[in-house]
Amino acid sequence: MNTLKVLRDLFYYNKEFATGLLLVLIVVAVAASSFFSPYPPLDVYVVPPDLPPSWQHPFGTTSRGQDVFWQLTFAIRNTLLFGIVVAVISRVISLCVGLVSGYRGGWVDRVLMSLNDTFVVIPLFPILVLFYFIMRDQMTWGLLALIVALLGWAYDARLIRSIAMSLRTREFTRQAVFSGMGTGRIVWQEHLPFVLPIVFSTTLNNINWSIGIEVTLSVLGFTDINTPTIGGMIYWANQHTALVSGIWWWVAFPIALVVLLFIGLFLLAISMNEYIDPRSRLSRLGGQA
Amino acid sequence: MKPYLTYLSKRLLQFAVVVFVGINIAYVVTHSTPINPVEQTISAATAYGSTSPEAIEMMRRSLSELYGLEGSPWQQYLSFWQRVLVGDFGPSLSAFPTPVSELILRALPWTVGLLLVSTLLTWFLGNLLGGLAGYYRENRVLRAFGVVTAGLHPVPYYVVAFVMLLAFGYLWPILPISGGASMAADRTDVVGFALDVVIHSILPVLSLMAAGIGGWFMGMRSLVSNIVTEDYVTYAELAGVRRGKILRHYVMRNAIGPQVTGLALQLGAIFNGAIITEQVFGYPGIGSLLISAVHAGDYSLVLGITTISILGVSTMVLLIDLLYPLIDPRVEAA
Amino acid sequence: MHMLRMLSLASGLLLGASGLTLQAETAFAQVTVPGVPRSQTIILENPEGTIKNPGWFNIWTLNAGGQFTGLHQLALDTLWYIDPERGLDGPWENSLASEKPIYNSDFTEMTVKLKSDIYWSDGVAFTADDVVYTVESQIKNPGMRWSALLSLNVERVSAPDAHTVHFKLKKPNSRFHALFTVRFNAIWIMPKHVFEKAGDPLKFDFNPPVSLGAYKLHSFDPNGKWYIWQKRDDWQRTTLGRYGEPGPTYAAYVDPGPPDKRVIAQLNHNLDVVHDIAPEGMFTLTKQSDSLKTWFKNFPFAHPDPTLPSVIFNMQNPAFQNRDVRWALAMLIDIKAVSMAAYRGAATLSPIAIPPTGTHPEDYHVPLRDWLASFELDTGKRKIRPYDPTIGAQIADMLRPSMGDQIPTDPAEIDRAFGYGWWKADPQAAAELLQKAGFTKRGNSWYMPDGKPFSVKVMVEGETRPILTRAGTMIVQQWRQFGIDAKTEVAQGTMLDRRNTGDFEILISWSVETYGGHPDLSFFLDSWHSQFVAPAGKTQSPRNWQRWASPELDRIIEAVRRIDFDDPRTVELGREYVKLMVREMPIIPLMAYNVFTAMDETYWTGYPTAEDPYANPVPNWGNSRAMMVRLKPTGK
Repeated sequence: MNTLKVLRDLFYYNKEFATGLLLVLIVVAVAASSFFSPYPPLDVYVVPPDLPPSWQHPFGTTSRGQDVFWQLTFAIRNTLLFGIVVAVISRVISLCVGLVSGYRGGWVDRVLMSLNDTFVVIPLFPILVLFYFIMRDQMTWGLLALIVALLGWAYDARLIRSIAMSLRTREFTRQAVFSGMGTGRIVWQEHLPFVLPIVFSTTLNNINWSIGIEVTLSVLGFTDINTPTIGGMIYWANQHTALVSGIWWWVAFPIALVVLLFIGLFLLAISMNEYIDPRSRLSRLGGQA
Repeated sequence: MKPYLTYLSKRLLQFAVVVFVGINIAYVVTHSTPINPVEQTISAATAYGSTSPEAIEMMRRSLSELYGLEGSPWQQYLSFWQRVLVGDFGPSLSAFPTPVSELILRALPWTVGLLLVSTLLTWFLGNLLGGLAGYYRENRVLRAFGVVTAGLHPVPYYVVAFVMLLAFGYLWPILPISGGASMAADRTDVVGFALDVVIHSILPVLSLMAAGIGGWFMGMRSLVSNIVTEDYVTYAELAGVRRGKILRHYVMRNAIGPQVTGLALQLGAIFNGAIITEQVFGYPGIGSLLISAVHAGDYSLVLGITTISILGVSTMVLLIDLLYPLIDPRVEAA
Repeated sequence: MHMLRMLSLASGLLLGASGLTLQAETAFAQVTVPGVPRSQTIILENPEGTIKNPGWFNIWTLNAGGQFTGLHQLALDTLWYIDPERGLDGPWENSLASEKPIYNSDFTEMTVKLKSDIYWSDGVAFTADDVVYTVESQIKNPGMRWSALLSLNVERVSAPDAHTVHFKLKKPNSRFHALFTVRFNAIWIMPKHVFEKAGDPLKFDFNPPVSLGAYKLHSFDPNGKWYIWQKRDDWQRTTLGRYGEPGPTYAAYVDPGPPDKRVIAQLNHNLDVVHDIAPEGMFTLTKQSDSLKTWFKNFPFAHPDPTLPSVIFNMQNPAFQNRDVRWALAMLIDIKAVSMAAYRGAATLSPIAIPPTGTHPEDYHVPLRDWLASFELDTGKRKIRPYDPTIGAQIADMLRPSMGDQIPTDPAEIDRAFGYGWWKADPQAAAELLQKAGFTKRGNSWYMPDGKPFSVKVMVEGETRPILTRAGTMIVQQWRQFGIDAKTEVAQGTMLDRRNTGDFEILISWSVETYGGHPDLSFFLDSWHSQFVAPAGKTQSPRNWQRWASPELDRIIEAVRRIDFDDPRTVELGREYVKLMVREMPIIPLMAYNVFTAMDETYWTGYPTAEDPYANPVPNWGNSRAMMVRLKPTGK
């Protein structure tokens, strides 16, 4: 399959894809422009504080004397990376666990699902907060991403397992087994294509969920404030009671940009789902795309 | 029925294992907190006041004894399990000597009430509207609703809650913004008090619904719009079955399965509490209790809440697994 | 299975809504309290937040319940009070005692004369037996709150008659009375007749509390969000009675939630006294509330508490054992920027290790000005005079264009509001001092004498202390720009543990707390004696967080121990302490802990202010009870 050609076709013939791609590119461009920022991201009082948006400061300035636009470029870069890292790591785990468990069944399934369920039932939030206390200044956002990923795969593994279980009872699986294919090949060649669409949509879920976690932890002050993120910007805005003080641009622009990111990713995903499988067979099988 | 009984017993065993492992992980993590409850208590008691370093030394010793922090880690672990098996989490370290169970029981009704109502309402409305939107795809009102919920969905919950607080508590101040009930409300007047509680819960419930409804709505809509293209629906339509009946009997019934699974898990997660809701709306409950326990290094309390939460979620997962083979014949009782 | 987190369209709605500026026009229909009319109720913030264990009033156990719920302000009482400001009748107040403490010549005995005609709220008379019981039962039960302090000090306590208490001490202690003297709080007196029937005092909840103050419990929230106290019918039979009848019939101490909510609640007139908010919240109130009362009528509005936020070095860390290094770091601080970053300029600065509040400026800051001006620092290359008395005026000038009339012009008022000067930022001198200490600069970075990069980690508390976190962040930035590898660490809930165990390099916090209304410094200074310094790695007891051991300081402390509390020599010794601290710089003093207490005059007038400083308005202080007798209803 010529990937480039597919993408080009999608871009020309699918409005959702084109719009989505455009939005994601805008967000990525904002993130990339952080490399050209005239201000170091951690320094405060580099511009006059509390200025509303103007030509000179298109998104205004914060009460900490930072330019909202340039601060945002660093924040969205870190937040985007955070979401992607969490999503990739946790997708890999949930795919492996879900497919193998669903296909093999028996004791493999029981062991894997016991592990899986343990992760489902452990309350995420107290664990994250306690990790933060234990790790303290070693708790960089990279480590946080790893921990969130390790805690964030179980729901989707269960979802993938339930699809794999249904697939197992299907005719083509039986045929594959009769024709002598091993677990690895069946799972990889026969089942993976069925779950890929749901992996796409859960990737989106997961990026959204992990950014939500990041924002939640930040709002409560449980993150590393030395790394600018979207949640971190909201944290500092709250510290300065920005909303009741009328410094709305400090909160509005970070949120608007995150929202743009989600719209973009969402549009990309639905249009690619349509391309991969116009009938979205995964939904029939119990998913929720 | 025999295979099902085997499945049941295996599944029950697995449940026990999961709960045991989960509580142990929680035990280890909570007990490795670097916050020492003795230091927290002493600092809170002696900040601002007259004290002397010698006196603090004495306090440290007597508090460690009082809190039962002496003895080897292994002894502490064993006595923890001895107590937990009879439902006793020991005394809270930040509200000593009040038992942890008493604190949790006091907070739990508020959290469960708030989250039960909002979760069920959100689920019901989201699925109903989502199902309708998936079936009547041309309806403008439903499409507009879809756009609004989808737009609201990714906004961090904190912001949704805060904007609602500003809107209804301040700009158009028609609703109370803080607490679970009015100050000095007369609790003997059952009807009046219940009404008061309901009024206080409107904003938190609305905010939870606003943030949560989009997921159900979009999930159901896409499930339904896929089922609509199935052959049996087409046949039913060709056979002249009324559309309302098709929606109820052929479409919704087939789409609702995964949504029920999702609901069960969310209901289990109720015991986690709604931390941000409780913070923003000053609502009494498990979430605020948890945060203050974490800050105070009160690991008895953190562990108590965590254990309840682990039990809640894993019970729900168990129920789904036990019911699933009965609902969906395609899944074999493995 | 968390639900699909997808979305499609932009939420313009949100941008519109959050951008709206608040307007204080309509208020949410008043909190309706049956039998507790709003016009007779003052509503105050309790900064403890929600009380986990609301039905527990036994304050003599450790942290079992709330303390600032009105319980220690309005319901309890003890022998003496020192007001951090001027007091209703001078800072010193004989409360349950009828006169000052009477010591014998070697400070091994203390006699207290008690007032008569003071009654508990259940009608039982207060007598010397209550005081004796308070002391004896705490000594008997080591789990009780003041048990350790009392058993270390008291050999024997007795009541020669119903209105006299006699203490025989285990060792000489000229400040023993401080245990029964409220600055913020003190050892509260227990009702003997209630506790002796209650069984184990550690397990007794004291609910409802029998009170000795002018108010008694009316009702409280079983969820711990509010407490309502009602004026006693027999308020004349309490110690507050001699100042006249308290204004409010009811006082409610509530948990109003996060800072935004407090601002909204006060603009809606649902919260008469806000304990503290971020400076921006205060500025919003000054702009939008027409019934606001603040400590300073003008900028900086806030009340300076007798607490001194500082840059605290861990003196057991080899990097900071050289005085020149500490002074170099001090010379790198541009205090104007720190004041702007922390308080938006609303800081009351202090170059010396005493908070610039209450009566301290007259005793210390003003008299020491000349000495400060002539203080010389040897940088190794030259001698400089680092003190700049005009810093306050410079900040005032800086703020005037944006704040206009709110900035005072009178020099005395500027001093009072913005503090008494500070050290002039001088990177050149800092470089010279570092070179003198054997540091070298390569490229843009500084290296320690052993060749390692000079890196410092500054611990800040985070969200719970926003102001100090901001100050620390700014200081770190200034050091970083100079070529020091400086970082902040946000300690959050681990702050106390790390502070106590010395697990930090530099800390933004306070180790200096004073009476405010009295020049004696023993309140914090006694604990700075080297006998109490813990070895590295062991837990340090309050309040010498810098773990500084100095023979010179020990001499001052020992001299203070030998003289009476009111001896004029306490001021002289205090000044010696100040000079020693300037030379050694074991902490870099920054400013007073300014508390943005916002008071609303819709229902009540007569709050304490800088013009009428009869009490500290900060409502969790025990002596804020004085406010009650001055408050007058507006009749609304």
